[in-house]
Amino acid sequence: MKKLVLGLLFVLAPLLAAQAPPSQEVVLSASAGSKLGIALPYPKAAGLPEATVSSEFQEVLSKDLDEAGPFAVIQKDLPAATDPSSYQAWVETGTQWLLTTTINRSAGGDLEVMIQVVDVMAAQGRNVKPVVSKRYTGKDGALRRIAHKISDDLMARLTGEQGVASTRIVFVREAGRGIKEIYQVDRDGANAFPLTAFKSLTISPTVAADGRLAYVTYKGGAPEIWGQRVPGGPHVKLYPPSGKVEGHCFCPSWSPDGKRLALVQGDRRGNTDIVVLDVASGRVRRLTDSNCINTDPSWNPAGTQLAFTSDREGGPQVFLMGDDGSNVRRLTQEGTYNGSPAWSPSGSMIAYVSRFEGKFDLFVYKLGEGKSYQITTGIASSESPSWSPDERRIVFTSGSRGGMQLYTTDLSGNTLHKLVSLDGCQSPKWTRSR
Amino acid sequence: MRFVRNLIPLSVILTLGVGVACKKPAPAPAEPAQPAAVAAPPVTDDGAQKRAEEDAARRKAEADAEAARKAAAAAEMARQNKFKADAEAALKDINFEFDKSDIREVDKAKLQAIADFLKANPDAKIQIAGNCDERGTVEYNLALGERRAHAAQNYLTGLGVAEARLSSISYGKEKPKVDGHDEESWLINRNCQFTLQ
Repeated sequence: MKKLVLGLLFVLAPLLAAQAPPSQEVVLSASAGSKLGIALPYPKAAGLPEATVSSEFQEVLSKDLDEAGPFAVIQKDLPAATDPSSYQAWVETGTQWLLTTTINRSAGGDLEVMIQVVDVMAAQGRNVKPVVSKRYTGKDGALRRIAHKISDDLMARLTGEQGVASTRIVFVREAGRGIKEIYQVDRDGANAFPLTAFKSLTISPTVAADGRLAYVTYKGGAPEIWGQRVPGGPHVKLYPPSGKVEGHCFCPSWSPDGKRLALVQGDRRGNTDIVVLDVASGRVRRLTDSNCINTDPSWNPAGTQLAFTSDREGGPQVFLMGDDGSNVRRLTQEGTYNGSPAWSPSGSMIAYVSRFEGKFDLFVYKLGEGKSYQITTGIASSESPSWSPDERRIVFTSGSRGGMQLYTTDLSGNTLHKLVSLDGCQSPKWTRSR
Repeated sequence: MRFVRNLIPLSVILTLGVGVACKKPAPAPAEPAQPAAVAAPPVTDDGAQKRAEEDAARRKAEADAEAARKAAAAAEMARQNKFKADAEAALKDINFEFDKSDIREVDKAKLQAIADFLKANPDAKIQIAGNCDERGTVEYNLALGERRAHAAQNYLTGLGVAEARLSSISYGKEKPKVDGHDEESWLINRNCQFTLQ
C-alpha cells in the first residue's frame, strides 16, 4: 500500500478552493505553498493578571493558530508598536496578518475581548480597513473558549472553512482495575475531565451532532446502552428495553441526524448483528442476519450507508451496506485483520486499522480512487481512528501495551501530536459539539 | 419540692423498718418446732431441687438445641465448604486460540467437570464470561468474547445442562486476567471464566 503523500495538498486544497463569506474578498496574497505569517503582539489587558492573559489566552491562541495548518505564528523580534508606521517592521519579521487584541474584565467578571487583524503587507504603512474586526464577550473563565473561537474565525476568514480549535474529543479512560469512564478533553489537550462516574466498566462513546452522548455501561451487570435523549439532559438507559433480552448490545453510533443509533446486538448463538434503533419510538430494525460477527457500525455523513466490520468471509474485514441492510460489499481487500472503520465527514474517505505482525496501523481508503493509503508506520500499535470535523486530522490511540495514549496525525502521517499525557485511553471520538 | 423528694426515701425506710419489726416475733412460736424448722429445709429443698431439675433440664435442652444448631451449622458449613471446594475444583477457565471461539480438545474435560458439578448441585447457576487478549480491536473483541461465552454455553447445554442455569457476558479485552504482554499472558486472557451466580 502506498504511503499517503497528500499531506501538503490537504493543507493547500482549502486555500486553493478558499470560499470567503460573500461580503468579503478572499484574503490570500500569501504565495501558494507557504503559510500565512501571523503575529500576535501581547494583548492590552485591564482587570486581569498578566499570568492569566498569558496562560489562558495568548498561549492558547498561539498554539491553536500554529496547529490549524495554514498559519505560521511569528514569535521572534517583534516590534513594540502596532500603528501603521510600524507595518514595514512587521513585514520584515515575516508577518502578513498583524493581530492586535484588547481584553477588559469588569469588576463583575464580565470579559470583553476585541481583536483587529491588519494585512500589513497589503497596507504598506497606510491606515487600512482591518481584515477582521470582532468583539467577543463571556464570563470569567471563558478566556480559553474565546481564544479558540478567535482561532476558528481567523481560519474561516482565511480559508472559508471552519477551524477546529473549539472542538473536543470524547474518549474512554481506565479509572481503576475493571473500571472505565467516559472522559472529554479539549482539542488542545486542556480541560480533561470525566463525563460519567459509574465506577463500572463504561466504554464505546458516540457523540451526536447536538452533543448528546451514548455509550455502553456494565453498571447493572450486563452491558446496556445509556446516554442522553435531550442535549445536556440526564443520562438514561436507551437500550435494551426492560425485560428479557436474548443477547447483549454493544457499540452504539449516532446517525448524523441524531435520531437513530446503530448498535450491535448479540443473538442466542453468539453471533452479533448490526441493528438500528429509532430512539424516539424504540423501534429496532435488523440490518445484518448472518452466522458471524458484525460490529463497529460507522455512518456516512448522509446517514444512508454504514461501514462495519464482519468476519463473514473468514477474518475481520471492513464492509459497506445501505442503512436498510441492502447492497453489502467488502471494502478492504488486503490484510488478514481489518476493523474500526470511521467514515470521513465529507464522505469521501474511510479510516480503518489493519493488523500486521501483531500491531495495528492506521489506513485511509479513498472511495473515489478505490485505494487504501497507509497513514502510520510506528513501532507502537495505533488503533481507534476518528476524524477531525474539518477532515484534516485523525485522532487515535497509540503506545505501548496497556499504556495507550491519545494522538492526532495529519493524513501524511508526518505531523504527529500527542493530544494529552494520559495513560489507559481508548475509543476517541472527535466532535464540534460542546 | 426538695422536701418532698427527701420524704420518699424516708417513707421507704420507715416501711421497711416496720416490715422487719413485724417479722421479728415470728421465730419465737416456731421455736418448739425446731425439727419442723429442720424439716422446713427439705420443703424448701424440694422446691429448690425441682427448680434445679427444671434448670438442668432446661440447660440440657438448651445445650442440646445449641449442639444441634452447631451441628447443623457445621454441617451447613461443611456442605457450603464442599460446595465451594467442588465449585472451585470444577469452575476452571477454558482458553482459546487467537481470534477463535472453538472449544479446544484439552478443555472438553473441564467443561464435563463443570457439567458434572451442575448436575450434582441442582440449585447452582453460573455465569460464563468471554474474554479476549489485547491484540484485537476493542469492538471486535466484545463480539468475539460474546461468541466464546456462547460456545461454552452451547457445549454445556449439549452435555445436558439446562440453559436457564447458564448466563453469559462478554468483556472483550476490557478485563484482562493478567497484565502481561506476551504469548503466555495472551493465552491466559483468551478465556471463558465461570462464576457462581
